[in-house]
Amino acid sequence: MKLADFQSLFQQRVLAGSGEADKPLLKKLRPSPRGAAPETLLDVYQTGYRIRLADFVSQDHPGLRAILGDEAFDALVDDYIDHCPSRDPNARWFTTGLPDFMRENARWRDDVAAASMALFERAMVDAFDTADETPLTVQALAGFAPDDWARLAFDFDPSLTLLELAAGTIEAYGAAISEEAPAKVDKPAAGDHIEYAAVWRVDHESAYRQLEPDEYVALSEARAGHAFGDICQMTAFQQAGEIAPERLAQCLSSWFEDGMIIGVRVREDDDQSSNTPSSA
Amino acid sequence: MEKPAPLGYGLGLRPIYYEEILSSRPPIDWFEIISENYMLAGGRPLAMLERIRADYPVVMHGVSMSLASTDPLNFDYLRQLKTLAERVQPAWVSDHIAWTGVHGVTLHDLLPIPYTRESLAHVVERIQRVQDFLKRRLVVENASTYVSFVDSEMSEHEFVREMAERADCLLLLDVNNVFVSSFNHGFDPVAFIDGVPAERVVQFHMAGHTNNETHRVDTHDQPVCDEVWALYEHARRRCGDVSAMIERDDNYPPLAELLDELQNMRDIDARISKERALSAA
Repeated sequence: MKLADFQSLFQQRVLAGSGEADKPLLKKLRPSPRGAAPETLLDVYQTGYRIRLADFVSQDHPGLRAILGDEAFDALVDDYIDHCPSRDPNARWFTTGLPDFMRENARWRDDVAAASMALFERAMVDAFDTADETPLTVQALAGFAPDDWARLAFDFDPSLTLLELAAGTIEAYGAAISEEAPAKVDKPAAGDHIEYAAVWRVDHESAYRQLEPDEYVALSEARAGHAFGDICQMTAFQQAGEIAPERLAQCLSSWFEDGMIIGVRVREDDDQSSNTPSSA
Repeated sequence: MEKPAPLGYGLGLRPIYYEEILSSRPPIDWFEIISENYMLAGGRPLAMLERIRADYPVVMHGVSMSLASTDPLNFDYLRQLKTLAERVQPAWVSDHIAWTGVHGVTLHDLLPIPYTRESLAHVVERIQRVQDFLKRRLVVENASTYVSFVDSEMSEHEFVREMAERADCLLLLDVNNVFVSSFNHGFDPVAFIDGVPAERVVQFHMAGHTNNETHRVDTHDQPVCDEVWALYEHARRRCGDVSAMIERDDNYPPLAELLDELQNMRDIDARISKERALSAA
């Protein structure tokens, strides 16, 4: 048997488990000198594969396990492993497809709370190892003249993700990872209600906090490169919040304090880029 | 055969021990990293590695090169590996005689091959291409296996010897893997160690495994067992001054227990040196 044919057969056994298709592979195995059954030895590879992948998902999704319970979570992981074999040499990327799988799979797509938790936890994992940047403090603003403030635009840490989640997701996650974490956390009865969150990394650890709707809009616009003054004028922001300039200044202060901002610059009228070199 | 200088007694660097290593500076001569765990854009793993690298020699050990796979070599992976090597400046880069998947799938395991002429030519050619790409000699490790194949045309150690000589690569002798595979397939582990080209061995791996009575599995979640310590002594007598280390990947004990295992290596090596000095006198 050619090496390529052997490897196809062997991989099929690992992915699909024992069955009729194994017969050509079984014929190629030498008997164990210790009397181990060939099936038992092949199972070392098959169960090892599934256990490793399940461990990766478990490590990255404590909140999802907590709201689904062990049985449903294990069923989800089994489904995911069956449908989405790992394709990246780095196991870190295996779990990243879970929220998409849940959205596309009939068995899981209607579980809004679970899908929301999966999305949130993926952002936490992604934040952990994005590129390093140095956050600025609010002192960075001191170098700009007051006349320039309305035209200030900001660059954000690449780890920052803004999320629209099912209501209750953040509270359930907090309960799941708390020191006295219960085995099961009540699944949020989200209905159509939503909440907003920012996920980013600070001091080498993933961080998160819930955002009020007006801050979510402001942060989304600021991250898109819009200037401070422009955001104040935005209809969306006016509708979502109350007193724009003061509230926005408050938000800006907390973004600095949270370590989200890595660059400040004066946006020119024809400046379409949010990636021009930062100043201050 | 020109080999990198021995580094002494090392440990597989795992996140659970980062803080203790940095705060207590335990008597460990060098660290081995799992390359894939640091092939990242940024974050804590790279920051910790940078701090540790500032004070210790580091070697890079990969698990995904898939040298025996019949899929094309993954040059995206190799580029990332090369970038990490440029950053870390490791004493050497290693991976396994194994494959991890075909048809674009990766099973995150070190899978076995039949030891045939075809497999040998395939692995040799891929090691040579990797060495050309990385512009460094690769260090290649024997893996633990649980099945063996009627198509094999040579023993594992014959395969290792010929592979190393034809590819002109260096070897990482995993003593625990030799023992596990010898138990599972009924070959003599001492003959294996005597059969590999000692002049190409630059590193020993030592680890624990799980004994399932009819077969043993390379789990790295137990202390090194007595049979593997005995085999280590034989390997040390045969290969001489080679960098040696402990791998632990699960069921993590206090760091002190791993330091005790390193001390055990030192004690064995000191005894061998003393015996040699006495017989030379």
